[in-house]
Amino acid sequence: MNLIVCVKQVPNPEIPPSKFRIDSEAKRTIPPEGIAPVINPYDERAVELALRLKEKHGGKIMVVTLGDDVSGNVVKHALSMGADDGVVLTDPAFEGSDSFGIAYILTRAIQKIGSYDLILCGRQAADWDEGLVGSIIAENLSLPLMTLVVAIERIDKELKMKRVTLEGHQIFTLPIPSVVTVSQEVGRPRLPSGWGIISATKKKLPVWNAKDIGADLSQIGAKGARKRVMKLFLPERERRCEMVQGETAVEAAIKLAEKLREAGTI
Amino acid sequence: MNPTLQTYLDIPNFLILYFLLAVALSIFFYRASKLYGLLRLGGKEDRFDHIGKRIPLFLSNVIGQWCTLRSVSRKDLAGIGHFLMFWTFALFLVNYTYLFIWGAWHQISSLLELGNRFSSAFSFILEMLALLTIGAVIWALGRRYIARAERLKRGFEAAIILILILLLLTTHFLGEALRISAFRDPYGGAVSSAMAIAFDGMSEGAKQASYYIVWWLHIFILLGFLIYIPHSRHLHIIASLFNIFFRSTRPKGALTPIDIETAQNLGVEKIEEFSWKQLLDLYACAECGRCQVSCPAFLSGKPLSPQKLIEHLKTHLIETGNNRNKSTNALIGEIISEEEIWNCLTCYACQEVCPVANEHIEKINELRRNLVMVKNKIPETAERALRTIMMRGDPWTGTQHLRNDWTEGLSIKKLSEESRIDILYWVGCTGALDERNMKVTISFAQLMKKAGINFGILGAEESCCGDPARRMGQELLFQTLVQRNIENLKRYSVKRIVTFCPHCYNTLKNEYPQFGGEFEVIHHTELITHMLKSGRFKPNLPVDKRVAFHDPCYLGRYNDIYLPPRMILSFIPKLKFMELKRSKRESFCCGGGGGHVWLEENIGTRINIMRMQDVIEAEVGILTTACPFCLQMMEEGIKRKHLEGSVEPMDISELIQKTL
Amino acid sequence: MTIFRGLLVCGEVVDGNITTITRELLNIGRKLRDALHQPLSTLLIGEKIEERAQEVISLGADKVYMVNGPIFMESSPDLYVGIITEVCKQMAPSIILFGHTEMGREVAPRLAVRLNSVVTMDCTDLSINPETKQLLQSKPVYGGNAIAIWISESKDPQIVTLRPRASMPAEPDVSRKGEMIPLGINIDHSMIKSKLLETVKEEVRGIKLEDAKVIIAGGGGIGGIEGFKSLEELAKVLRGTIGVTRVPCDEGWMPISLEIGQTGHIVTPNLYIAIGISGAPQHMAGCASSKCIVAINRDPEAQIFKEADFGVVGDYRQILPTLIEKCKDLIR
Repeated sequence: MNLIVCVKQVPNPEIPPSKFRIDSEAKRTIPPEGIAPVINPYDERAVELALRLKEKHGGKIMVVTLGDDVSGNVVKHALSMGADDGVVLTDPAFEGSDSFGIAYILTRAIQKIGSYDLILCGRQAADWDEGLVGSIIAENLSLPLMTLVVAIERIDKELKMKRVTLEGHQIFTLPIPSVVTVSQEVGRPRLPSGWGIISATKKKLPVWNAKDIGADLSQIGAKGARKRVMKLFLPERERRCEMVQGETAVEAAIKLAEKLREAGTI
Repeated sequence: MNPTLQTYLDIPNFLILYFLLAVALSIFFYRASKLYGLLRLGGKEDRFDHIGKRIPLFLSNVIGQWCTLRSVSRKDLAGIGHFLMFWTFALFLVNYTYLFIWGAWHQISSLLELGNRFSSAFSFILEMLALLTIGAVIWALGRRYIARAERLKRGFEAAIILILILLLLTTHFLGEALRISAFRDPYGGAVSSAMAIAFDGMSEGAKQASYYIVWWLHIFILLGFLIYIPHSRHLHIIASLFNIFFRSTRPKGALTPIDIETAQNLGVEKIEEFSWKQLLDLYACAECGRCQVSCPAFLSGKPLSPQKLIEHLKTHLIETGNNRNKSTNALIGEIISEEEIWNCLTCYACQEVCPVANEHIEKINELRRNLVMVKNKIPETAERALRTIMMRGDPWTGTQHLRNDWTEGLSIKKLSEESRIDILYWVGCTGALDERNMKVTISFAQLMKKAGINFGILGAEESCCGDPARRMGQELLFQTLVQRNIENLKRYSVKRIVTFCPHCYNTLKNEYPQFGGEFEVIHHTELITHMLKSGRFKPNLPVDKRVAFHDPCYLGRYNDIYLPPRMILSFIPKLKFMELKRSKRESFCCGGGGGHVWLEENIGTRINIMRMQDVIEAEVGILTTACPFCLQMMEEGIKRKHLEGSVEPMDISELIQKTL
Repeated sequence: MTIFRGLLVCGEVVDGNITTITRELLNIGRKLRDALHQPLSTLLIGEKIEERAQEVISLGADKVYMVNGPIFMESSPDLYVGIITEVCKQMAPSIILFGHTEMGREVAPRLAVRLNSVVTMDCTDLSINPETKQLLQSKPVYGGNAIAIWISESKDPQIVTLRPRASMPAEPDVSRKGEMIPLGINIDHSMIKSKLLETVKEEVRGIKLEDAKVIIAGGGGIGGIEGFKSLEELAKVLRGTIGVTRVPCDEGWMPISLEIGQTGHIVTPNLYIAIGISGAPQHMAGCASSKCIVAINRDPEAQIFKEADFGVVGDYRQILPTLIEKCKDLIR
């Protein structure tokens, strides 16, 4: 199967929440010193799902990235997990694109790549949490879409998919080719393998710009954006926590129960 | 008339002797060449470096028998017995060599018959040693089978070997006594001459006939022993000589790197992927059991035993050889289980006591490398730590801190702002991000300030030293981290580094040079000792308590740093220093090494709880250590044993702080 | 040039009832209607929805459009995308509101592309800028660590999905009057590419999380599946139900259907007891609206203590047994 996975580089979401800082002028986060950006955890799971499909049905995985990651670190991470090829999309004209612009650029890149049976995206990006790009790509390419997928099986010319819901899951079949967005319930993504790391470091990644993919400049960049962030701020933390102390755990537990009764909560 | 002169069916006996010798030698060499062939299956490794170091080590360990003498203690005198056995054997070897090459066809059955001053001296020494050795063998048999000493196996093989040695020695004395009596040799050995008197009553014919019988019996036992050597653990007689010569000359704490450019395999999956030296270890093992009774994993009830590891690998290697060099069982899974591979704490207790210089930890590490980098099979908690190291540069998933948090309010120099410093303070991930150990970091920083030392930190530019990654088998992640750190260190022209984490210390000092990073690395106990000796500060406030020091594995056994912490404690007034029962070289691991801070202990007793026993016995009020993992483990141990009121755990720098 | 006018709420009727999120959408819809002076309509797709249409009017809708069809969870998303696109093309609303539910998550982005317009997902607040009359869309970003306010640049209609429990449900006013309009939408069934084979409801223990008044939640600090037994006991005593964070799901201790958080259930109980939970924003997003949060954690520096109303530092294994007994006592 020919699989394409779209991956994004985001600031590392695993930092202590109390250390989260933003630049309200530039309207973005200021990552703590020394903490490098990482592959979007949801996209990493999309790569994991693609790898499981490749293990079962054979084929190749092509990874595409767009954004700040000009050196293709996230693509290399995916390659070291077991993906086969990658491409980095970069161009000053891409900067400032919103989800629609991003999806458009990825669509053009996918069209340039040409042949594919399945396109996988993470369900959202851990920075802006928009949850749009995968769906927009599907609509752009007029392809069937399934969101929040955690398992896929190929049966003849169809794909059987398991999608999570709030109350459980659903099983759908979709034709080939399709687009899926992958949810975190797919499980822990594998760590890069030894040979994967070695071959990924040696690989030279092709870089495509707006001209290479034939992008219509009016659809990309800040000028082509359909929406923008007007304000970015840190939420107020209102609660004042009353710590219930005790000499022993037993004492603390008793005090807590009494306080809750006083407050009318139990 | 000596036995070789006799004839049997008109054939001179010495020809029969040579025939038997030829048969025995053929069987011996056939087996030896098979074993050698198996070694050649193994990978390349250069062990011919540092000849200048190897020769003296060989001489002291083999000729001086330091290999076993070093482990002699009141409880275990086996080293003395081995010294005796070795030298008796060596002298007898001279004797037999003479017999077979010259003596037999010159009708002289032994060196001892030469009848000159040299042979008298030789026979005197030989017989004294042999007599003592007989005593040693009987002692050994008693210790093994009656007293049932813990580290000794009570199998068939051990019994055969001890009994054969006993028979060889007694038939020697018996035969010599009969010969001296029969042929009235005045130059016979002292002991056998004394014994000869017992046979004065026998007839000449009987004496000679008995002598010939005993002599041939002796030869048969000898040749049998020769054949038995390569078919039993007594292969160690030959293999250990080579193994000791080819022992590792690298620092103890430096594991073998993988050369990414040329590597054919990552870690070891099949027995032939070990290097020839790692395979030689299997032949050199004498199954003495010292490693097993020192291993904290084994002693706490885990499936792993270093002795069994070597044994099983040896059996597997030979079976593979018997099966046309194709393994029949999976090395990982069937010969050694994944559980055992992860049980190892890399505490070095096994290697410290091994008389033949076997390298157990290297083997376990190679197996881990295969599990982690090729099979991707690693316990969840360890995988999480590796992932966080990969993504964020530290193993402490879930920490609520950033690397510079501890510096708040302290005005610590960061190299990115001010790079003119005398020494770099390498804080380490645990020192920077673990709540409890941040206090130690601050404490030592304050000591250095008080002493007027011009130090700086890398701060947010510091990345994990790589030790957890390498010990957990992710060698490639390790090399990435090392290269990144070396780049940073070189960029700031760092020459000297001080750290309080022994793991960082070991890796920076002993393993970074493998990748071009040569720095002068000091442990904080060494620096504090220096500061105290040079009077930069003086502990004034007394500590009127019993205080013990838990020797961290990576500081003590790996880097032989035992004195500085004790020296520091000796500066403190009124302090009563108590040596823990298992300390210095024999220190019992806290349970945190080899990545075990991030691995769960599911079977047996918890290792840090076992260590608590020594602490309780010492009845101390303060337990000091000099390692962030040991500190965590000791604190947890104290909590679990409900000792919070009576024993206070702290880093040695924190104790010094309290006395200023 | 199409004139886009009016607010359209895409509501849901499940098991014969209007969903709570629909009520919440209508509440917000009314606020926006009053600010923009544009009519508020509701689209209902389902079976026998006429019975509920009047109720929707009482909740604030001026018009109710009704389309007969299967409920979302029993059909292909393609069908809903098709129907709603058709309706929107016909009605040309300027603002389209969805709940951030399965339906909203699927349909809203695709609708935005088909209408060549714009969408913002998972909003926690919506308001109208009085000068520019632009729709200000507030939503949590960076896993809940920050809030972003989005505005759209002249692309009509503007589509949004609203996070459940972000708004209060609308109060019914039975005196309200409105129009009920059945729509006949022709769907080209060849556009339905995804076929639903089966829907599986994982056994939810007792009360639905969204309805629970008391929730006992466990996180990574529980340590394993056995630990949850004491939480279930406490839940029974307090007549609540248990929930989990991401960690117990990732570890396989508990089913995903119990996950509370940004990508799981959003709950608003009166009492939320968080045990062994660090308090990361992704989780707090699911429970922040609880009236009272109690935290029990071994780590005194855990983030949860900044989010809670009461906190106890300690090992839950030692605290819960006594807590359960004392609660039993006090409740009697």
